[in-house]
Amino acid sequence: MIASSIASGARIAAEVEKIAGVEVFVVLCNAGMRPPITRWMREVALLLKSLGGWSPGKLWRDRRAGKLLVLRQTLDDPQSTELIRSLRCDVGLHAANVIYREPTISAFRLGILNAHIGVLPQYRGRSVAEWSVLQGDATGVTVFFIDSGIDTGERIVVRELVPRAGCDSVSKLKRRLFARDAISYRKAIEALMSPGFRTEKNDTSKGLRYFVMSKLLTQAVTGILRAE
Amino acid sequence: MDLETAPSRSAQPDRRSVILRDALFSRRAEVQKSWPELLSSQLLESLGSAAGEVEAFLNGNDSALAPPGPESSGWLASDEDFWGGLYALALGKHLDCRPAAAPPSPLFPADLKRLSPPERFQRLLARYRCPANIAAASEFDVAEELLRQLMVVERTNLEAGRAFDAEGVLLALSLLGIRALITRDLRSFDALNYFFEMPRESLVRFRSNPRLFASWLCLYVQLLSTADWLQ
Repeated sequence: MIASSIASGARIAAEVEKIAGVEVFVVLCNAGMRPPITRWMREVALLLKSLGGWSPGKLWRDRRAGKLLVLRQTLDDPQSTELIRSLRCDVGLHAANVIYREPTISAFRLGILNAHIGVLPQYRGRSVAEWSVLQGDATGVTVFFIDSGIDTGERIVVRELVPRAGCDSVSKLKRRLFARDAISYRKAIEALMSPGFRTEKNDTSKGLRYFVMSKLLTQAVTGILRAE
Repeated sequence: MDLETAPSRSAQPDRRSVILRDALFSRRAEVQKSWPELLSSQLLESLGSAAGEVEAFLNGNDSALAPPGPESSGWLASDEDFWGGLYALALGKHLDCRPAAAPPSPLFPADLKRLSPPERFQRLLARYRCPANIAAASEFDVAEELLRQLMVVERTNLEAGRAFDAEGVLLALSLLGIRALITRDLRSFDALNYFFEMPRESLVRFRSNPRLFASWLCLYVQLLSTADWLQ
């Protein structure tokens, strides 16, 4: 689990650890994000905010057992890559605001999974939930193995459609989709562990790359959500 | 209901279209009110004989804004040069085009990345002498790369207050506006929305090229007047 905060890492790890026989390491990757004082103040604030989703005792035990690691350098630094490689993990889970380069991706036996808040292969890139609503398509989350492109990784593991009933704003819809990440990752790991499982090809010719949506169209999307 | 099988209930297509159309018309009214702040009378005069047409077009009503774009997805030729073709399309006039053979040397997205901004500008001007060709099926990858450069590279530069290639951005916005007009690509259209929403102090840098600036605004008003985006 490559996380930009202990809180998000612990939350997703708690869900994935429900699978029997799975061991999770949380690699905190916040080096270089901010000055150290503000970075760690943010960590404390996020932990307090998510109190109940983690246990201080377990966090302490994980730290002592080497399952919670803090990178001193940025993710791309060779020392970070070597540390991750030494964990000998099968799969990485993305929960950090970083772009992965090949050495980091290949430090995991199968690669790194991303829970994308859009339906692939149709919707790649940014603001995909909004674009889906505007064009009358389903919203959802797709878990796939990343490559160095933007949502172009060829192997889709899980795709879930997420109803948007009750979401009367874009921010509520996005919160609902982002909140699916832990469950989607668990389902993806369960799928990968099931005998005979085969990934689906992410055929990029069947979709488009989308970009940040303007305020004007976002306002129209809000209107559509309210009308649904 | 199982999440994996439950589709999201979508608003009826006509309802979505009405909501979108209302938003676009509201923006069009805003552009028609505010364009003189962007395109000053001095800049307008610098357009020469086209100034009156541009002014009338930007102040126009619905009936004056119903552009039929060239419908071919193949390569086209026109007797106009780039600027003549751009004005015709931007002002909703008929552009006389005929089918033609595509240029022997294709333009690749990698070329656009490699060229310097002035070289890229000249290369695009030469290739899209008939500007409708940006919507040709063969130009899909080039148009996608222009869209990416605008919405990733130039947008980031502009938002961070860094220097940006104002002429290159305007040319890309105009070409993508034409693509949106002909192919109804909402993503290309939204690039124009996004840049119009940039702070005014950034937009005034576009005054360095009044012809492209005026074309962009006219194309934008046309796109905002188009109602069939979701059909």
